[in-house]
Amino acid sequence: MNDSIKVLLVDDEEEFVTTLAERLEMREFDPSIATSGDQALSMVQDKGFDLIVLDLMMPGIGGLEVMKQIKSVNPDMPIILLTGQGSTKEGMEGMNQGAFDFLMKPLDIEELISQIHEALGKTSA
Amino acid sequence: MNQETEKTLAFFGRMTANLTHEFKNILAIIQESAGLMEDIMAISPLARDKYQERFNNSMNTIKNQLQRGMEMASRFNRFAHTPDHNSAELELGETMVHFCTLTERFARLKHITLQADSQKGQEIKITTNPLLLYMVLFYSLDACLSVLPAQCEIRLISAKKDENAAVKIACTGKQAPSPEQFFTGLRQSNAWGELENTAAQLNAELKCNTDDLCFYLILK
Repeated sequence: MNDSIKVLLVDDEEEFVTTLAERLEMREFDPSIATSGDQALSMVQDKGFDLIVLDLMMPGIGGLEVMKQIKSVNPDMPIILLTGQGSTKEGMEGMNQGAFDFLMKPLDIEELISQIHEALGKTSA
Repeated sequence: MNQETEKTLAFFGRMTANLTHEFKNILAIIQESAGLMEDIMAISPLARDKYQERFNNSMNTIKNQLQRGMEMASRFNRFAHTPDHNSAELELGETMVHFCTLTERFARLKHITLQADSQKGQEIKITTNPLLLYMVLFYSLDACLSVLPAQCEIRLISAKKDENAAVKIACTGKQAPSPEQFFTGLRQSNAWGELENTAAQLNAELKCNTDDLCFYLILK
């Protein structure tokens, strides 16, 4: 049920995002990765992603700014934020600005998948 | 709580938040790598062969991240002991390297390079208050980061100036502001005010080279 879901994973920790993509691929998602906000913005313009998983704190353009720019072009794009902060403050702020939800790092992949399905209005397997 | 204590706690808070954020990134990589290994082990043994290399890579990633975490913990532990003594002997060049490894992420988040440098073969021993020295270096960095655009470089150079030990903070970059804009920006930043106050506590003189993007902390 996941093979048509195109997910863009955005995080500057390359090993994290690459491994997460592999794990999603093993669950029959169609993931792509970006390791910076700039790269994510250029990829979003060209490819039809169903959903974006976006780290809040990255070098250069931070997650909230990336989300703002994506939402200005595609207000319906579901975005799940990732935060390495110990508090929920930044994640809540992101939700106020239009994120579907946020998850704390290190994350639980089953929780991420459940969030992806929920954001896309699908029922988890 | 008096103002000095508040200032010190705020400094420790920012350093701790920075390092624990890095720790969470390390744990996130370890978690995903271990998860991927678990996923591979859950595949039927007959189909598992094609994932062998990826399994081994994940194991190596975990080892590398553990090493990264241990080095970070050691650096942070050393930093946490800076308030232990009001006065201690330090080698300035080595202290700059330690400070830069602790704070490199602040610069990286702005796409700015931070590095420590020293005059060749010159060992500079100083007796100073370690905590105040780290605070002065932190405010110097914070002030520079507030005015420099991405792709610039900040170098902390341990040196001798007029027979005193000194740290030269030198900034470069194609998009860097003019010296006039640079110093105006520095002086308008909150960090600069903290830097002046803390430098005075440390009995360090702050000397700006207005022809260039650099200033000195002269440790007396």
